[in-house]
Amino acid sequence: MTDDGERVASPEETLRLIETQRATAVRALHGDPLLLYTPWGVAWLLGFGALFLRYGLDGVPYAPISHGAALGVHLSLQVVAGAFAATGIVRMSSQVRGESSAKGMMYGYAWFVGMVLMSVICARFSSALDPLGAGLLWAGVSLLVVAVLYMAGGALFGQWPMFFMGVWVAAVNGLGVILGAGWHALLSAVLLGGGQIAAGILLRRRA
Amino acid sequence: MTSGEAAPELDPVIHAQARLRVMVTLSTLCEGDEIAFPSLKDLLGMTAGNLSVHLTKLEEAGYVRITKTHKGRTPVTYVSMTTRGRLALEDYTKAIRSLLDSAGGIP
Repeated sequence: MTDDGERVASPEETLRLIETQRATAVRALHGDPLLLYTPWGVAWLLGFGALFLRYGLDGVPYAPISHGAALGVHLSLQVVAGAFAATGIVRMSSQVRGESSAKGMMYGYAWFVGMVLMSVICARFSSALDPLGAGLLWAGVSLLVVAVLYMAGGALFGQWPMFFMGVWVAAVNGLGVILGAGWHALLSAVLLGGGQIAAGILLRRRA
Repeated sequence: MTSGEAAPELDPVIHAQARLRVMVTLSTLCEGDEIAFPSLKDLLGMTAGNLSVHLTKLEEAGYVRITKTHKGRTPVTYVSMTTRGRLALEDYTKAIRSLLDSAGGIP
């Protein structure tokens, strides 16, 4: 059979072709893990890292940064990471139409609404707290939203890695809140920031 | 190519490198989703003409669905995979696997 499509050779080669093509398509249509996870990882590593240097483990700052500066670094990095993720999602969904783009849109809005509500709640209560307590409230509640939405996203898109990422964020967040602001920042920077970077690289390799 | 006596039959529509790549790519779409023609073309690195020919073959076999519509004034074509196409690709992959197993098992 020598029609247009040029015949595929051995079964081994055919299977390899199927696998590589599937990986390429998944990366292009369902997001490159390196782009989806790694920017958040970098943002958390540096952002929570800055907060950790400000808080210290026993209330004494490790670096002479003001609370406002540390928080500014943290928040602006989140925005950059969010922009990365949003661009990725928009680029992916512009290629495809149908049920999953509606799902993706609702999921995207769920993030937005969750983050807005988080800000309202934290702003309302943080004035009653000392700076450390207020910082911990913001960090803890924002990671609660992230954890829940990651788990929900895993369920929505049928992706176990995403679900487990949510469980991991929930566990580290819970432990950090119990231990206090300094520990929370340290654990989030290392375990969540580092974990996201590692997950991005690992998933990319596996794909 | 001479194959063994017990070799399973391979679907000739899919058993061509270019169409196999098209099928695999479409199979990664979620059920109910369609991909825009230019995106598919870029993803596969094929020319528009070449891809059209293969898509027509696949459509004739009932494996893909082609929808022509308009976005404003520009015509847009969307491609999706039918249930029949998904089953055909599944069967094809199974057949390839069993070919590989029998090649490895019997010297």
